[in-house]
Amino acid sequence: MQSLLTAGRSAHLALGKRAFTSSARRWQAVPQEKPVLMKEFKIYRWNPDQPEKKPELQSYKIDLNQTGPMVLDALIKIKNEIDPTLTFRRSCREGICGSCAMNIDGQNTLACLCRIDREGSKNTKIYPLPHMYIVKDLVPDMTLFYKQYKSIQPWLQNDNPPEKGEHLQSPEDRRKLDGMYECILCACCSTSCPSYWWNQDQYLGPATLMQAYRWIADSRDTQGAERKERLQNEMSLYRCHTIFNCTRTCPKGLNPAAAIAKIKLELAVD
Amino acid sequence: MSSSLLLRSAFSRNLTHRLAARSVNQARYATSEASQYKYVPGGPIIQGTVNDPTTFPAPSRTHGSYHWSFERLLSAGLVPLTAAAFVTTGSNYPVLDGLLGVSLIMHSHIGFDQCLVDYLHPRKFPILGKVATWTLRTATVGTLVGLYQFNTNDIGLTELIARAWTA
Repeated sequence: MQSLLTAGRSAHLALGKRAFTSSARRWQAVPQEKPVLMKEFKIYRWNPDQPEKKPELQSYKIDLNQTGPMVLDALIKIKNEIDPTLTFRRSCREGICGSCAMNIDGQNTLACLCRIDREGSKNTKIYPLPHMYIVKDLVPDMTLFYKQYKSIQPWLQNDNPPEKGEHLQSPEDRRKLDGMYECILCACCSTSCPSYWWNQDQYLGPATLMQAYRWIADSRDTQGAERKERLQNEMSLYRCHTIFNCTRTCPKGLNPAAAIAKIKLELAVD
Repeated sequence: MSSSLLLRSAFSRNLTHRLAARSVNQARYATSEASQYKYVPGGPIIQGTVNDPTTFPAPSRTHGSYHWSFERLLSAGLVPLTAAAFVTTGSNYPVLDGLLGVSLIMHSHIGFDQCLVDYLHPRKFPILGKVATWTLRTATVGTLVGLYQFNTNDIGLTELIARAWTA
């Protein structure tokens, strides 16, 4: 029955005019055919099960008019329809989890917040975050990054908590944390920093340093002196040379370089 | 019945054969591949898990904030010193001339030293890093001696630049 109906409909379409015999309902809302807009994505591939094989860029062509607007949509389409072995992290698809951080056309960003360049003649190259150990394809090993984050003790430390209720904070003090608490730890900034590339075993990197300052600046935290004292060495903080790659790349529009500059200033006048 | 039995036995023989082949395969993996790419929990290079925080070097203000403040004040001080060298002559103000020279050399030394810490740190380059550090120190001391000689026995730094400018 269904096939009969569709056959009849295509015959009418072929005639190019409406026939009296068709019901009004059947002639409404014919889906508009979008033109095919093919675009090439070149994606970094490396498989740990074949360690003797060098990493390579694999090319995929998809129709942008059948894809969502973001690079993550394209990756998911490729994984669903072309190559299920393509490996990448993703979770929230709206820029709040930080899982899909990768290097897209030379810029570290979140794939879910990065629009696909709709220029079909130009390909888009996707690499994992630079200078990280790779687990597979677009998945970097974040172990060191999390270890460094833990080293700054990112939790509220207060010697004398209020007798009852919660820690109170003035609106001005609360405002000092704006632009820092929003960080989702996607590591886009740290992995865009040349100092972090060369010295990541000792230099903390912009993401961790901004979180360090987030706790130094918090009026409810009483361990500021200890937090600052830990950064008093050649490597942890002072490998920052203020080149602002971190601020430029941040997909959340935060400013880690300013936070690092404020730490340096506070340490200098300490 | 008999045919099914025959089939089953053939199947089981096939299975055992395949299992044996796989174990041989695994053994081969264990000997050649695993020695090269040995699995280490937590990764071969980064030690420990995400719950083991990294450690900090021993705190030292000399290498920390004092160094940074000195470097920034020195850089800022070079601006008025350079301006002063434009409006005065080195011969009439030898102290200013000497101060400018020493500041420039210290500024360069700290700048080059930053490059060495970034790219040739002794923890990664135990020999080359030390050689580079001592080469830089020697060069700095040599330049200081040269500057002293030049400023006391010759025309001095500001005068030299002024003459080279108009030459």
